[in-house]
Order: sequence, then C-alpha cells, then structure tokens
Amino acid sequence: MSKQTQRKSMKYEKKEYKKTRTMEANWYLSSYNYKFNITHMQPFLKKMKQKKLIGNKCSGCNRVFYPPRLVCGECLVKPDRWVDIRETARVATYVIAYLKNEEGEVEERPLVLVQHDGCDTTSIAELAPGVDVKDTYIGLPVRAHWKDEPEGGLEDIEYYDLMEDDAEDLQ
Amino acid sequence: MDKVGIVGYNQVKLYSDANYGRYEMIFEAVRGALDNAGLKKKDITTVISATNDYYDGRTISNCFTVEVGGGYLADESKVEMDGAHAMLYGLMRILSGNHKLAVVWGGSMPSCYPYHSARLYETDPTWERPNAYVNDVTASGFQMRAYMDKYDIGAEYIANIAVKNRKNAAKNPLALEEAQNSNITVDEVLNSDAYSDPVTELMVAQPCDGVAAVLLAPERQALKITDKPVWISGVGWNQDTYYIGERDLSTCTSMELAAKQAYDMANINDAKNDIDVAELHEAYAHEEMIFTECLGLAEKGEARKLNTSIGGDLPINPSGGAMGGKPPCATGLIRVIEAVKQIRGEAGDYQVDGVNRAVATGQIGMCAQNNIVWVLEGGGE
Repeated sequence: MSKQTQRKSMKYEKKEYKKTRTMEANWYLSSYNYKFNITHMQPFLKKMKQKKLIGNKCSGCNRVFYPPRLVCGECLVKPDRWVDIRETARVATYVIAYLKNEEGEVEERPLVLVQHDGCDTTSIAELAPGVDVKDTYIGLPVRAHWKDEPEGGLEDIEYYDLMEDDAEDLQ
Repeated sequence: MDKVGIVGYNQVKLYSDANYGRYEMIFEAVRGALDNAGLKKKDITTVISATNDYYDGRTISNCFTVEVGGGYLADESKVEMDGAHAMLYGLMRILSGNHKLAVVWGGSMPSCYPYHSARLYETDPTWERPNAYVNDVTASGFQMRAYMDKYDIGAEYIANIAVKNRKNAAKNPLALEEAQNSNITVDEVLNSDAYSDPVTELMVAQPCDGVAAVLLAPERQALKITDKPVWISGVGWNQDTYYIGERDLSTCTSMELAAKQAYDMANINDAKNDIDVAELHEAYAHEEMIFTECLGLAEKGEARKLNTSIGGDLPINPSGGAMGGKPPCATGLIRVIEAVKQIRGEAGDYQVDGVNRAVATGQIGMCAQNNIVWVLEGGGE
C-alpha cells in the first residue's frame, strides 16, 4: 500500500483540488557556468593529458587528495606538494543505482567510491558498462580506463575496469 | 548559560500532497504554537525561519512569509538549514538579552518540486558531478554499504529500524499517512522497490509537506507563560566536509563531536543512563543506527542489539522519527517538538514513561554532513 503511494508522490501527479490550484512555473538553475581555479590545479590537468595521475599533498597533515583540493580543511593551508598516485584503485564503498539510459530504459549500474593506491581520499566513479552488479564488493581492485584522447580534466577517466584480484586473503 | 525554555510548539499534520496553500500551512503552525502557549502576536519579538530558496522555488524564500510567520513589524531572519539549526539561531537571539519571545518555524512543500532531483545539485560541480550523478539517495547507499561492511551487519537489521519507526508512526496522529503501517514486516521493507541498492523504498524517509513551529523564551518569561516549560540544557553542532570522498562514511564524526559538545554543556557523563528518550532525524533507516552509536547510546557496531522500541531499554523515535514523514527544513524541529511532548507527557499513544531528559537531533546535507544535538530537560520531579 505504502509502496504505491510513495511512488505516486515521487512522480508528482496532481489530483483535482478543492482548496488549492497549481500553476506551472519554471525554476531553472541547471544552466550555470561554474568558475574554478586552474592555476593551482595546472600540474594535475597537464598530467591527466599524459594519462598520468597525481594528487596534492598537505604539508600539515600529510594527506594526499585525489581529486586535488584547493585547501586542506583540516589545516586550512593550500596543499603544496604533488605526488604520483597509481591508476589502480580499490572500491571503498558502492551502491547500485537505477539510471535511465538514452532510450529511457532503467539500467542497473554500480556507482562506486574508489580510493587510488597512494591517496587518502576517495572519488565518485562508475564501473565499466559490462560489469555485473553482483560482482562488486568493497575492496574490489579496479584500474582507471582512459579516454582515447585525454583533454586534461576529470572526464579523461571514463570509467574503471576490473582487475584480477591477486591479493591473498589474510588468514 | 542562562536558562532558555521551550514554551510552546505546534506541528501541522504531514501530507505527501497537502490540500493547503503554502502560506496557510505556515500560518496554521505559527498561530497554533502561539495558541498552545496562550500568547498574542504582540508578544513576538523575533522570528527565525528555516526555509530553502531552492525548495521554495524563488530567491529570498522568507520574504512573503513575514505576515504568516509572525514577523510583521518584528525582527526576522532565516536559516537555510534544518529547523533544528534555526532553533540554535533563536536560542542565541534570546541569549543576547534583546528578545523575550522567539518564534522558530521551518517547513517546505516537496509536492511542488522533485525533491531527490533537486538534491543532485548538492555535489561539487567541478570535482564530483562530472564523474557521476549522485544525489542524496545514492550517497546514502554508499553510507549504508560502508556501515554494513565495517560491522558486518545484515540488511535485515536496518530494515528492522524502518519497521519499528513505521509502526511507531502509526500511533502518531500527525505522522504521514503513507508511512503509518502497524502491520509492516521486515520482508516487506527488504522487498520494496530498490531505490539505490542496498537502500530500498521503505528505508527512505519520505519527503512530505509540513511546517512546524517552536516558541523560545528566557527563564523569567518562560515561567510566566507556562507552568511546565522544557529547558534547553545542552546544544552542540558540528559539520564535516562536503566531499563524500574525504569522510569516513561508516560513522558520523560531526555527530560525535556535536554530541560531545552538547553533553559537556548538559553535564552528561553517561549518556546511556542519563538520557530517557531520543528523537533522531534519520533520513534513512541506517542513519538511526549510526547516530545511536555516535550519541554514545550504544557501542560502535552494537546499535542493532539495543531495544529501542517504546518501553524498551532506550526508546528511540517513539514518534516514528523522520521515517514518519520528512518535511524538508522542518524535520529537525519536529524532533525537538516530539522530545518536548515526551518530557511534558503530552505524547498520547506513544508516550514513554518517566521522561525527564531527552535528546533531539537535526541534520542536513548528504550522508548527514551537518549535525546538531539538543539536550532538553523538564522542570524536574
């Protein structure tokens, strides 16, 4: 019962009212030109173009950020060192999202937070389109899949490919 | 801190698609709170509202609510957060010594806009959004999976929370009708539509239309207004980073720090024994378990073992919590109101016996990024 009604409220089907009337109006905020600092991020963007990954490291707390941050929140200083990080990563946590594709069909797709080897933060990413959602688990090793011609930006990593899990289980 | 009391409260019935105009709903909440305390418009000296421009579909969302919110020729301001955060602003205004009665109200109408789609715009536009679209539901899935994996907890324990809260909501006449279900089972929760696996539909607190209002007054005025004021004995608030990737999702550090601050203020050393009832703003079922642990009411990973039903070891969300209806910007305020009801013995069918000290929390942001904890006390036996 509650299932039906909850769905309905998500779809915003309006019934005929006695007390209220609705008026359609627009509240578009989706077109916005976000401006962000590239002088600080320049080394990162340059390296992405060469299919290499770097993160920035805070001298205060020694954390390595990927994606790079303008400021370390813990120390309130600009992370001033760049360190190489690997393109291999592990799944820190994941969720199976139900997203509509271009044809309007609902697809099951795992969204993941990946932690690159050599880095302390995780980033939101998608797994390769063919991955069976049931194969995903926390700690799953993955590798960045690059675009054919990187342009220098986060979008250069299209998704993450699965790697063979050769880690021995701790006994 | 000088004593500040909650002298009146009111909450409108929650609807998924309310047969109300927006301003009418605000008026009903604020007027009802004044009637509850036996006060008049001229007694109001300051008004704090909790609304959101995005959710209200216009900029400066509090500008047309001046009359209905009681702010006409008075002092008025807005907090674009949870209602529980607005109460903090109200408390500070009272403590400044300039005001004798503060009205704090909050609310929104998600039947007018797609709530979960609006929250797609919450992630960082340059460093997170290009990778994948994540909204509050998907982010909570990350959190639930991380929590389940860290402490090896099955989804049925989390479904159990949803069952308990929805059954409690059935006893609460003001809760959302769709959320009230006294016959719900764990299997029903687990087998409801997957929103973003592992989060299923019935584990999500449904956004709904609603407004709530609370009246705050300093000690002298509070004692004149009512013979059973509820005193604010502690408050703590804290926020974590907005980047989901930088946080430990299996716990809620900001809630832990907020709880510590509030407990220090209220002189609580042993939260498990000192607190009689807790009203938590759990936007998702698993958040109640995480909050229970962060508030020190259970050891880490042990929240599933606590009997939190009405009449249990420590009743949590006897009103149904946010699971019984989550009007954006009002939910935290409703948690405070429910805690006040428990202390004053006005909770009716879901009254917990012998409550003198209660905890209420509010949250905002993805995976409960910004938290506030209120410790409330009655006048004593």
